[in-house]
Amino acid sequence: MGLLDSVRGFGLTFGKLFDERVTTEYPAEKREKSERLHGRHVLNRYEDGMEKCIGCELCAGVCPANCIYVRGQDNPADDPVSPGERFGFVYEINYLRCIHCDLCVEACPTEAITESKLFEFSFTSRDDAIYTKDELLVGDDGKPQQLPWEDWRDGEDQHTSAWMRATAPSGDASYEGRVAWAGELGYGTRDPEVGQSGGDGD
Amino acid sequence: MGVNSYLAHAPGYVDNEGPKIVTGRFVHEDSHTLARSLATGGYDGLKRALEQSPTSIHDIVRDATLLGRGGAGFPAGVKWGFCPPGVWPRYLVVNGDESEPGTYKDRLLMQRDPHQLIEGSLIACYALGLSQCFLYVRGEMALAQERIAIALNEAYDAGLVGTNILGTDLSVDIVLHWGAGAYIVGEETALIESLEGNRGMPRLKPPFFPAAIGLYGKPTIVNNVETLANLPWIINNGAAAYKAFGSETSPGTRMFAVSGHVKRPGVYEVEHGTTTFRELLYGDNYCQGIRAGHELKMFIPGGGSAPWFFPEQLDLPLEARPVGAAGSMLGSGAIVVMDETTDAVKACLRVVRFFARESCGKCTPCREGTSWEETILQRIHDGLGRPGDIDMLLDIADNISPGPYPTAADEANGLDAVPFPPKQTTICPLGPSSVAPITSAIRRFRHEFEAKITARELIPVEATGP
Amino acid sequence: MTAPTDADVVPVTVNGVEVEANAGELLIDACERNGVYIPRFCHHPRMKPVGMCRMCLVEVDAGRGASLQPSCMLPCTPGMIVDTESDLTKKAQDGVLEFLLINHPLDCPVCDKGGECPLQDQTMAYGPGESRFVEEKRHYEKPIPISDTVYLDRERCILCDRCTRFASEVAGDPLIHFQDRGSQTQVNTFPDEPFASYFSGNTVQICPVGALTAKPYRFKARPWDLEEVDSTFPNPMGDRVNVQSSRDRVLRIQGVDSDATNWGWLTDRDRFSFEALSHDQRLVTPLVRGDSLGNATDDGDELVATSWAVAVERAASAITASLEAGGAESIGVIGGANLTTEAQYVWAKLAKGVIGTDNVDAQLGDGLPAQVVTALPRNTISDAMAPGSAVVLLVDDPKEQFGTLFLRLRHAAVEGDITIVELSPIASGLGSLVTVGAHARPGDVGAVARAIVDGRTDVEVGGVEPAELQAAAAALAARAVTVIVGRPSVAEQAGPIIDAIAAFTELESVSFLPLLRRGNISGALDMGLTPGMLPGRTTLAEGGEWYRAAWGTVPADSGLDTAGMLEAAVDGSLTTLVLLGADPLADFPDADLASRGLAACRTVIAVDIFASSSVANADVVLPAAGFAEGAGTHTNLEGRLSPLMQKVNPPGTARADWLIAAELAWALRADLGIESPESAWAEIERLAPSHAGATVEQVRAAHDGLVIPRPDDAGADRPAMVSFSAPVPTEIVPVDGYALRLVADRRLYDQGTIVQHCASMAHQSDLARISMHPLDAAALGVRDGDLVRVTSARASIELPARPDRCVPRGRAVIPLNRAGADVRALIDLATVVTDVRVATL
Repeated sequence: MGLLDSVRGFGLTFGKLFDERVTTEYPAEKREKSERLHGRHVLNRYEDGMEKCIGCELCAGVCPANCIYVRGQDNPADDPVSPGERFGFVYEINYLRCIHCDLCVEACPTEAITESKLFEFSFTSRDDAIYTKDELLVGDDGKPQQLPWEDWRDGEDQHTSAWMRATAPSGDASYEGRVAWAGELGYGTRDPEVGQSGGDGD
Repeated sequence: MGVNSYLAHAPGYVDNEGPKIVTGRFVHEDSHTLARSLATGGYDGLKRALEQSPTSIHDIVRDATLLGRGGAGFPAGVKWGFCPPGVWPRYLVVNGDESEPGTYKDRLLMQRDPHQLIEGSLIACYALGLSQCFLYVRGEMALAQERIAIALNEAYDAGLVGTNILGTDLSVDIVLHWGAGAYIVGEETALIESLEGNRGMPRLKPPFFPAAIGLYGKPTIVNNVETLANLPWIINNGAAAYKAFGSETSPGTRMFAVSGHVKRPGVYEVEHGTTTFRELLYGDNYCQGIRAGHELKMFIPGGGSAPWFFPEQLDLPLEARPVGAAGSMLGSGAIVVMDETTDAVKACLRVVRFFARESCGKCTPCREGTSWEETILQRIHDGLGRPGDIDMLLDIADNISPGPYPTAADEANGLDAVPFPPKQTTICPLGPSSVAPITSAIRRFRHEFEAKITARELIPVEATGP
Repeated sequence: MTAPTDADVVPVTVNGVEVEANAGELLIDACERNGVYIPRFCHHPRMKPVGMCRMCLVEVDAGRGASLQPSCMLPCTPGMIVDTESDLTKKAQDGVLEFLLINHPLDCPVCDKGGECPLQDQTMAYGPGESRFVEEKRHYEKPIPISDTVYLDRERCILCDRCTRFASEVAGDPLIHFQDRGSQTQVNTFPDEPFASYFSGNTVQICPVGALTAKPYRFKARPWDLEEVDSTFPNPMGDRVNVQSSRDRVLRIQGVDSDATNWGWLTDRDRFSFEALSHDQRLVTPLVRGDSLGNATDDGDELVATSWAVAVERAASAITASLEAGGAESIGVIGGANLTTEAQYVWAKLAKGVIGTDNVDAQLGDGLPAQVVTALPRNTISDAMAPGSAVVLLVDDPKEQFGTLFLRLRHAAVEGDITIVELSPIASGLGSLVTVGAHARPGDVGAVARAIVDGRTDVEVGGVEPAELQAAAAALAARAVTVIVGRPSVAEQAGPIIDAIAAFTELESVSFLPLLRRGNISGALDMGLTPGMLPGRTTLAEGGEWYRAAWGTVPADSGLDTAGMLEAAVDGSLTTLVLLGADPLADFPDADLASRGLAACRTVIAVDIFASSSVANADVVLPAAGFAEGAGTHTNLEGRLSPLMQKVNPPGTARADWLIAAELAWALRADLGIESPESAWAEIERLAPSHAGATVEQVRAAHDGLVIPRPDDAGADRPAMVSFSAPVPTEIVPVDGYALRLVADRRLYDQGTIVQHCASMAHQSDLARISMHPLDAAALGVRDGDLVRVTSARASIELPARPDRCVPRGRAVIPLNRAGADVRALIDLATVVTDVRVATL
């Protein structure tokens, strides 16, 4: 290894010295989050205020980390919580266990559970780590509740439906890249990504 | 009231020139009374039968090759021989639940000559050694029920029914049962269920036919009204005289109920097997042709459940076997004639709707399939059809009746006939019957279906998903 | 040696492989037995084929060319060629599933069946990928309650006819049926007539979709939450069940098809009894007397929570004090019939081998002496109902008390060639299926049985006419007779019943099925929880030496039964009483004696799962584990051993019964040497004459259980088992022409502890009524619903009357343990029968 090699090596270092900086002053300043980021969950409502969750437990059933606990109950006939016979009576997510894989979102037949892009929530007790239904439910305005230990920035609550199917419904490959759900998901929607199937249309 | 015209007192019946085996008394206005019956030879057949041994009566019926008139056309004499030996009691059940669309011959027989039916039933009971007979009359036939009830009372009073009939050892009780109104009860096992007080749903026949295990689990002979009405004449005149009429394989006469676009619709007693459709529909003694200014488009040769025939099939004889080979069936002898003004889609929908409403609900393919067919046809008819609907209809039909469905030949398009009967995924033939109009109509008039679909009035919103 | 006949084996070719089917076997079953599963919905092995769903269509060539045939209705014939995988078959399966799904709501996420649904499973395996149905689906109101426990969702129903066939064919309650036609066909009840069947829960279990759901389980869990274990339901039949739990709570009990016992069926009372297990009034901690501040002082008036150490020490010191003051005879144990067989043995060992008292009785004056019950030659249920046999019923109405046995009897009566002779005082729910209803007058059944056995049928005996006596004798003649015997009425002493048993033992071919109340009563009697007996169906006299060698001590003389113990308590000679899941105040036929006896005891120690009225009066209360909260072995009426498995943990600090006995022994400075149910069973197998050769491994391995005694002679060196000897016949009480003879029977839903702690069943217990023959009612001027005064020699009660043609003349029936009036007030245990006079008010 000659002297020239060292100079060449430092050349790269000094060369980059004057490039634009890619690091940011986190947490004062935040970079834009990836479109496919999986963050803290929300439980959505319909426009009339009814809860979308029907307590079917498919999310709990599919959860690989066993972090979701759901129990259903008969909807009260005079004051139904959700449309249909059954509603989610208990809904808890244990964020000490959650790996944000989003399988719950895929499993949900009513699009009741979606994920926001929030990952900055630093609870300090086990109780705080277990989010109950009251905490996960969106407010009457359709926006997620902001708990004291969560670091929400302006406009971040717009993106509660930041998810994409990793698999196609019924395994039908032609669904890839298509929006196969209704447009009223949570609060704000976005176009599907392309480039997954490698087809001509991508 | 001369020959060869409608009879005012027997609406629907045309008194044509020809041999009369079962409608002989129809010319009399009071043909349903015991007095008229006795005055015109009523119960002579029974008397004559009682002079002979039951076996010889059975032999006469077998020799006469009396074919069942309910639809299957099975020889009655052979059917009678199916009872397992040594199992008693046995029952005779008279199937008067005539409800095939287009059929109204049994109704006339029951209304106009109930004593002939009673006499026929008694002869059958005597031949088979039975002492209990059930007359199952369709729920909607109020006049027939009333006339049979009166006739039965008269016959009981006259010692013609009951214990020691005409002073002999023969004792037969005849019970009149009113149906509650269900097409499916015309199927013999469903009729037996209904008689037992259950919901009228067919039983699976193989391995056990009613002749082996029927009403209340006992051997039961189920015969059609017209079949039994033939018996008095056969006993009076002998098997040879009976076989002098009609063809060799289908002797005697048969009643045909013609309806639709002919000049003179009605019930005709026609020589079995020798007369052709053309003679019946166009003959001067019969229907006298299609109504003025129109031409034949299609006709149903054997009631709503039969595949359709077209002008090419007009020269077929009125006989079960050739009609079956040509892709349809004579069935219950109901001929529905449609001229060129008929909308094939609507006609098809009309027949399918009947079967959808009358399905008993037992077998899944029939219960769900017939009403699905109906909704699709309704949609096409309403101008809301979709491009794939025709193939879908045929595929649903295939799920009810797998394999090629019987249809008539279509020489113009080089299509051969598929002979009767169809295969089925259901217990009874009701489900497959609903397929008959669909396959017949689509095969011949596919363009009419396509025209309705392409000329749709409303464009549906594009379905979501690919 | 003759060659085996091939007549009953027919060769059938299934998918190109020749297999052997039994002649007459349905094709669907033959295929399944040979590993080829044909999808199905309507076919159920315990019901007649109906061929409704058409899912099981397969291509069959039986010699006349291949065609689609429903394999659930097609008996195998030789040379049949079957293709379950042909294109034609697959197309038919595809088509049928598409038809079934077009009107199915697909609300699987909210459906209780979702996840364990045959329609889901078979659609995945055999169905089309997607539906071509674009129209609106069929709609009905959903769900509608069709009974107190069952909901019906007609949209989900696929009309397989299973529930309706069960109701009419199996249960004999044809209260649901099809309505309307075509695609509007629906299952429903008749207008204003609910599906009030004791067996309605079975329809939920056999429904192949979520059309029928059970209220107690509705939305409680999803199938993938549930953990399950096969166990035995602790009822006298020993029904095989599958216990399912989630998060340590039992949420569902399903029947398991066992050929020997319940065939997969359960009564609603058993099926839904799990509600009581998680009731918030369960005893969860030991209780002792203390003051109102919760201090466990000995002299307080309140029951206060305490630790196990304190409670067991209190119990042990009470027993020690009684031992010192009055000897072992001053201590008694009542109950234990609901324990596992192991726990019963451990308690018997504690009472007889450690404390040394023989005052032990698992029956509360409503059973039969163990010396009789354990001595009778027993039959199995299946053999008793084999074609060509005869059954004598001398028990409570099986429909009310032993539901699954009722279903077996009903099936045998409808399908098999058996005769049933009913000697019970009133007609049972079998109704007209009974061959002869020789309903003996209470007190006279011994004479009636004697007349039938001896053929003295020319005069009326005990209210049974000669014609009926002759018919009964004819129905039993030349048949293998099984006498199902119990105590049909507590208003009649056991004496006449034992006389009847004695008469029947003289029949040429006879065996017995002792059908007594309370879950594991057979085990309790086998384990010696009864005076005069020791574990293994042996007596103190026969087995005393054997057990003294093993246990150290055994009482010398026979002790007192429950009535005797309560009387001894009243006169002060019995001072400490242990209640093992027993509630004498509510359950003993003489409520007054029970109340005086319990009050007079110095110490009452109660081991129970609920604070019943007797427990509330106890001095020391030890909370026990209930069903599915502990493991062990169950003994049914045949002597069939089957495993009871633990599924959940007992609530609070409640403990298994055997452990409580072991703790108590330890506190009495004795070591029972038992560390687990298995070690208890090993000791039973080693010592008990009747249980020789029945190892725990064998019991666990046998799907249908293991009947004792085992046929081998492993117990040859052990004491002899008790044998039956006929006692002196009970005298017949003359008939009082002005009185009606009382029958006090039991009904399925009553004021019992378990039923009353189940939300879905508690309200189904009706008020007490007195039923009598309409002619008796007319003679007394009593109309339906009239309030009447019923007077016996002891007391009088008032309750509404109901004329009932099922009650023979001269008898009056009042159910026990119903709200409104307590029939026990009328009964005098000292008299053979109780006559009552009825007067309108």
